[in-house]
Amino acid sequence: MKATHKHLMAGAAALALLAPGAGQAAPDAYMIGLSVDITGPSAPDSGPTADALRIYFDRVNAQGGINGKPVKIEVRDNQSQPARAGADAKSFASDENVILIINSALSSTYEPVMTEGRRAGVPVLFAGGVCPKEVFPPADPLMFCTSSYAAEKDTEFAANYIHEASGGKAILGTISTAIPLSRAGIEHGISVAEKKGIKVVAHETIPPPTPNYAPFATKLKETKMDWGLTWGPWIVQIRIFEALRQLGWDGKLMAYGHLISEDEMLRLKDPGLLLFRTSSMFSDGQPIHKEVMAAAEGKTKFPTTYMSEGWVAGQAIEAALKKVAWPPTRAKMQEAMNDVTIDTKGLRGQPIVWTKTNHFRTESAYRVYAWSKDDNKPKAIKDWVKVEIK
Amino acid sequence: MQVLANLVVLTAIYALISCGYVLIYRVSRVLNLAHGELMMLGAYLLFTLASLFKGGPELAFAGAVGLSLLVGFVLYVVLMRKMTGELVIAAVLVTIALGILLRGLMVLIWTARDLHPISVLGWKNPPVPLGGGTSISSVALATILVAVVLYLALMLFFRYTRWGLQMRAVGERPLLAAQRGIKLHAVYALAWALSTFSGGLAGMLLALDSGLGSTMVIVGLKAFPAALVGGLDSLLGAVVGSFIVAAAEILAIHFIDPLISDVVPFVVLIAMLLVRPWGLFGTKEEIERV
Repeated sequence: MKATHKHLMAGAAALALLAPGAGQAAPDAYMIGLSVDITGPSAPDSGPTADALRIYFDRVNAQGGINGKPVKIEVRDNQSQPARAGADAKSFASDENVILIINSALSSTYEPVMTEGRRAGVPVLFAGGVCPKEVFPPADPLMFCTSSYAAEKDTEFAANYIHEASGGKAILGTISTAIPLSRAGIEHGISVAEKKGIKVVAHETIPPPTPNYAPFATKLKETKMDWGLTWGPWIVQIRIFEALRQLGWDGKLMAYGHLISEDEMLRLKDPGLLLFRTSSMFSDGQPIHKEVMAAAEGKTKFPTTYMSEGWVAGQAIEAALKKVAWPPTRAKMQEAMNDVTIDTKGLRGQPIVWTKTNHFRTESAYRVYAWSKDDNKPKAIKDWVKVEIK
Repeated sequence: MQVLANLVVLTAIYALISCGYVLIYRVSRVLNLAHGELMMLGAYLLFTLASLFKGGPELAFAGAVGLSLLVGFVLYVVLMRKMTGELVIAAVLVTIALGILLRGLMVLIWTARDLHPISVLGWKNPPVPLGGGTSISSVALATILVAVVLYLALMLFFRYTRWGLQMRAVGERPLLAAQRGIKLHAVYALAWALSTFSGGLAGMLLALDSGLGSTMVIVGLKAFPAALVGGLDSLLGAVVGSFIVAAAEILAIHFIDPLISDVVPFVVLIAMLLVRPWGLFGTKEEIERV
């Protein structure tokens, strides 16, 4: 009888070892999985986001963590390949200790990550890449986004600004790139501009890897446009601007201000390049900018001014985790993220507010920056304009 | 007029890049599919040297050009030499692997962010007026001049120098050339060095004109149809192929839809492969051997 009991105990122990999640000792930390493009086409945006998240939580952990527990982030490079991102998400989802998956890569990786997230009931946060439609109202219960940009909202603001700044007299040329989101954003901007009575004379769609932008710029210049509007990858936005300038075009170009844009403004020092963005620039010199730059100094290969997307994502995760009592679960994390206000301390024009139905933000705010010759730095030429997200 | 100027610039860019494909193929029958990455490596070397030798831009540029030459030589000695005598397809696969490796290494070393070597060098890139309201950038003008000088130099090299004649001999009959005392490995190494030299030069000029980013690899690949259309074993063919592909691309941008300019080079390539698979100036027997 004694022997039988021993056998039963051994069998039970063996079964326990074979059970799903077996061997995954409950960690004494909040576990997060990050699938990020570090060496692929989206690396210029995603790489700094990953670095900023690492720096942010190293600092949080050094200060005692959240609710007395550290935050651990497991990082995997997906190279913006959908199959790799899906495999990453599957791996994270199979570890029941992971309570949040972060994805930072091209939008082509979103679907497989969302599929795995839904299957396992893990909240998914998109950071540093464009926000998927699933985070806008009515939001998917598990999908969230902190990225600063949203194609149609952005171009709507830009078209309104062009109308205001030109007194409705702009002759507008638009530039998108061969990415559906960029084209949709610009097409929306065109429809807003035309409704305002702006004359739209050109819409060029440019393939990103092109050796010479002069042929595209030549066609645009021939339309006699005096304003340009572009929304897409930075490389296309800035190279078409430089090509237009090489041809002697002296108009103004409204471009979306990605992470890199502050450095680029410094390089070009051209007052005709207007950047609209929902993030403030580090040249504003607010305390948060100094704090981020000091924290990132020597800890990333990217300029410290590239840290804002990842930093805001860190702020969002910290705000949610503070509401997740120990032991953490995916359901607790989701519940926390469904009702949270993220104070970005000035990195964005507005706090990010997530509700049960809106996982983008209830309000956004835009600012327009241009190079100021007098101040020898970028300067806001239009202060924060609030936009409600319904 | 501006369209014509754009055409000349794009032809020069493609000619500079496709030259590297031709040099290696002509001598060894190997398609170097890491050419785009090697081109990008040349540009990164320029950026690094420019950062190291601040105040000495000419030295940085000369150093980067020299290093590009050396990279090709070292790659042959360390990697491609071992592929001698193997199937051509095996060597091509090695170049694919090399490209993947280089791409990963470059991102790890320099990150994938856009860099501007011209700012670090302290050079400017003002437009150069050509009359009639037409202008091109200074670097674009330099690209045209470099392409012309490079092709003339290579043609003279192949026609009048001992090493050039040896390269032609190895390209035509490697076994016979070896039996006549020509050192095959030295000739192949020279071909690789010249190829990375011309590719690196193209990468540097592109980076000076419009910046350096990870998409340069794709630009390198876009020049591949130019080399094939002209004929992979002909330098003259590379120039003519570059002109045809550039013309098709620019006409598509200007008169049809800029969006299709991306695929036009490959449409031209397919058309050429259907009609004359060895290219305009290529040798018929050469392509059959591949």
